Order: sequence, then structure tokens, then C-alpha cells
Amino acid sequence: MRISEEEIRKLTLEAMSELGERATPELVKKVVEKSVAKIGSAPGKIQSDTFDSGRIILTAFGLDHAGIIAKITQAIADAECDIRDMSQKILDVFFTLIMIIDISNSPKDLKEIQTDMNKIAEEMNIKVFMQHEDLFRFMHRI
Amino acid sequence: MPYEFEEILETIKMTEIEHFDIRTVTLGISLRDCVDRNIEITKQKIYDKILKYGKNHVKYAKEVEDQYGLSIANKRIAVTPISIPFDHFKRDDFVEIAKTLDKAAEEIGIDFIAGFSALVQKGFTNGERELIESIPYALSQTKRVCSSVNVASTKAGINMDAINLMAEAIKKTAELTKDQNSIGCAKLVVYCNVPEDNPFVAGAFHGISEPEVVLNVGISGPGVVLDAIKSAGKTDLQSLAEVIKRTVFKITRAGELVGRKVAEKHGVPFGIVDISLAPTPAEGDSIADILIAMGVEDVGAPGTTAALAMLNDSVKKAGLMASSSVGGMSGAFIPVSEDQGMIRAVQKGHLTIEKLEAMTAVCSVGLDMIAVPGDTPTSTIAGIIADECAIGMINNKTTAVRIIPAYGKKVGDTVDYGGLLGLAPIMKVSNLSCENFVGRGGRVPAPTGSLTN
Repeated sequence: MRISEEEIRKLTLEAMSELGERATPELVKKVVEKSVAKIGSAPGKIQSDTFDSGRIILTAFGLDHAGIIAKITQAIADAECDIRDMSQKILDVFFTLIMIIDISNSPKDLKEIQTDMNKIAEEMNIKVFMQHEDLFRFMHRI
Repeated sequence: MPYEFEEILETIKMTEIEHFDIRTVTLGISLRDCVDRNIEITKQKIYDKILKYGKNHVKYAKEVEDQYGLSIANKRIAVTPISIPFDHFKRDDFVEIAKTLDKAAEEIGIDFIAGFSALVQKGFTNGERELIESIPYALSQTKRVCSSVNVASTKAGINMDAINLMAEAIKKTAELTKDQNSIGCAKLVVYCNVPEDNPFVAGAFHGISEPEVVLNVGISGPGVVLDAIKSAGKTDLQSLAEVIKRTVFKITRAGELVGRKVAEKHGVPFGIVDISLAPTPAEGDSIADILIAMGVEDVGAPGTTAALAMLNDSVKKAGLMASSSVGGMSGAFIPVSEDQGMIRAVQKGHLTIEKLEAMTAVCSVGLDMIAVPGDTPTSTIAGIIADECAIGMINNKTTAVRIIPAYGKKVGDTVDYGGLLGLAPIMKVSNLSCENFVGRGGRVPAPTGSLTN
């Protein structure tokens, strides 16, 4: 089982708050290492290769103008999806947006959300792609 | 963010711009329990079994397509080589079985079903002879059935009698389907060292050591590799091999993911990923263009074989690293009619059958989708097949021949099949005869390479 950077960061923070004043860099390191080893070897937690994370990656491109993020995030909120991470850049006049969205609690499936997004893409004259996170994980992580 | 900006953009670029798709998800179904003395009962059993496992094949594949935003070009089915369970039937019965396969494929909504096959590298059973004889009728009376016959292997040698029979079958198929530019021959493959888990139709079948039902996946992606090579610029060959490997690694991983997901939906075991670069007639989806991007002026130029060998090897290495279930052909395909760049090279006179033959010695298949004049003698076709088999037998690799002696056509004509089968310019074949050689019949003994035990 792999542990993401984010999880290690969380563990570190937890260890620091628990140790309180006793926390020294060495001690925190030791505690975190122990916890990581424990999680790594926890039985019954082994995930299949194609474990479905329920997260999708949304990418949007286009000429920048007002209200793009507002529209997209509104649609995500309407679909009861949770934004887990978001990164946005303006390159010259081009707008690029990448979001990681958790759709596992949404009443809509990926296809329906995609249809919503296609409408927005047309309206705002941008391109919106949505793909399952698993695909990125499989292609870029071993 | 757990992924780099560049990684995300790369994936989007692959799927949206560079035509990366999964070429095929092929469901292999065993028909070994469909035997009955009565042909009508047999047909019903075959139909029922294919429908039982295959009826949701297209639906499941579409669901996975939607889930990952990745297109799956073809959904297909492969069955046990028909000659094996149904060995006791006669020619006309085999034609009936082919029609049943066709009907099942139509019902499921797939374009091809493969496995009208026989394995005769060492000799024939009576049923296998009957099946080979039935092939021209089966292929001309059905739309979706594909046939393949293995006539040679490194272990058994080359069955020249089988090659002669197959050359006749090819000619006859061309004649019987002359109204459609001899399209029957595009669905007929002659093999040496056939892999039993190849998901790529027309040469697919569900091998005898395979489980009851299995899902195999074939990936594509020449466009992705082409763009990677182009953006690598002027590097040396080692760096270029690295670029190819990195790219193929990623598309293989995507292929495995899709395969496993479709298999999961079916509730059947996942078999293999065939990491072949398979071109399509779409512009930019061409192996020829990759070879040109690697630096040869056109396919057929000196250096083409070396470039193809490197490409093929890099594809295999990347695939091995990316997936623990690599199988099938796994390499680069060089069909002529299905590849814009190949078609161009033939039309310009840059690529001949002889050069193609050399290229097949280093790539994953053989002379694929080659149209030749309709009056090419049967013995010459047998000679071409025998040459390919020799390359496969000696080098311990798969080779195949899918040749179309287009009825009534001459060098300079083209036959247009449309769709994935593409457009085939008629290629020139040597006028020299090999009749006295192939006419000897019998078997070319297995090479020393077969004695590995």
C-alpha cells in the first residue's frame, strides 16, 4: 500500500500536536516512521490494482474571461461533489484550471456531470475534460 | 496536488489530440463444451454460450469508456479454434457454424468475431481439412467471422501441404467475394507460431490452454509515440529508445487499467495486454510516420528495418515493465492498407513486398493486408506464405500473412474497403515461379532451435 505525501504530512502534524512540548525533530521523525510502517503493513488494507478512488480530474482550458471558475464550481456544488484540490494558472491570455474532485457522494455519475460540464464549456467557449483519477495514477505512478 | 501539471496535461494531450485509444477489448470464450453429434443442437449451444458471456460486452466496454474518458475502438469476441471441438463435422456443417457465429456477433452488436481457426503446423485431422476447405464459403457467406490457420511453428516445422491448401483457400475466397473487392481475404490470416491469447482480430482465437472465458486487451497509440519522437528532436538513438519506452509504458498502463475494469464488470479473469502499436487509416495514426520521424526519408528506405527493429524492441521493453501480463503479439504492426503512411509509400513505389518481408523479420506480425494482382498464381501465394513462415520458424517469433489477391485487379489499381480495413494499393509480385518447390508438399523439418529440451 502506498502512502501519499498528504497522508505523511497529516501524520506529522498529528504526531507534533500529540507530543506537544516534547516534540523534537528527531522524535517526530521516529514516531512518523513507526506509523508509516504500521499503516504499510496493516492487514486487510491491501487495495486491488484497480482500486476505485472515486476521484476525477477536471481540466479546463480556454481564453480567459470573467466567471469561468464560478460556473464550474457552481456545477460541482450542484452535483454535490467535493473539490479536493485545485490549481489554476493564467498563461498570457489562456486560462488553465485543474481540479481534483471527489464524486463518490454525488447522486450523479461521471457521465451526467460530464454532460453538465459540456454545457458550461459551450457556454463559456472553453474546453473541459474530465477523467477518472485512476487513469492518471496508473499512467504516472508505479 | 498529487499530480504534476505536466503529467495531467500529457494525459489529456494523449487522449484528446494524439488519438490514443484502446484498440480492442476481446472477450475469449471457450466453445469446447458445445459439442453435439447433431449440428442443429451444436449451433444452438454455440449461440447460447456466446450470448451468455458476450451479451453485455459492448455495454460494459462503453461504461468503462465513459468512466475513464478513454475510447475503446473495438469490442470483439474470440472463440476456441472451431476445428478442435467440432472435428467430426463436414465442410457444409462448418459453414453453418460460421453463420451461427455471425448471427451471435450481430446480436451482441460487435463488428468481428474470430476463431474460425485450425492449428495444423504438424498435420491435419479430418475435421481440420474440412474446416480449411470450408473457409472460402464461410467467409463469403458471413460478414463478421474471421478465420486464421496456423501452418508452421518452431517446434513442428512448416506444413507445406497446409500452406498449399491455404493458398488455394485464399484464392477461392478472393473469387467468392469478388463483388466486394475480395474482402473475404482481409478476414483470413495464415500464421507461424500463433499466440493463443492475441486479442487482435482477424487473427484472434481463444487458445486451448485458456480458461473458460477471459478478457484480453490490445492497445494502440502510434499517434502518441509519433508526437513523443517528434518532440524529442535530434537526440541519439539511445535517448530516442528511452522516449519511446517512456511513452509506451504509460499507454500500456492505461490499457491494463481498462482491461481489468472491463474484466471486473464481466466478472471474468483478466488475461493479457497486447502492447502492440496498431495503426488505423486515420491521419497521424501511422507506424510509417513514426519510422519517418525516426529519420528515414520514407518507409522502404535503407535503414527502415533497423528503425523498425528498435521501435519494436522499445515497445516490448516498456510493456514488460508496465504490466505483468503482457502477451499476444506485442510489438509494432505494419499492415499496408490500414496505415496512411504505408499506403503512400507503396503508391510512390518506395515500398515493395520484398522490403516488407525484411521488415517482418523484426516486427511483431508479418505481411499484413497486402493486396496483390488477382491473377497471382496459387503457388506464388504459397511461396510468399512459406517465406514468412520460415522467418517465424527460424527466429522463434510469430509471423502472419494476410494477403488479398484482389480478383480482377492489376498493379496500379487500388481496392478500398473503407473503415478500419482501409485502402490497399495492388503491389507488384515477382513473376518468378516457386511451383516446383512448394509443389513438393510435405513438411519442412523443425529447425535445430526447436530442440531446447
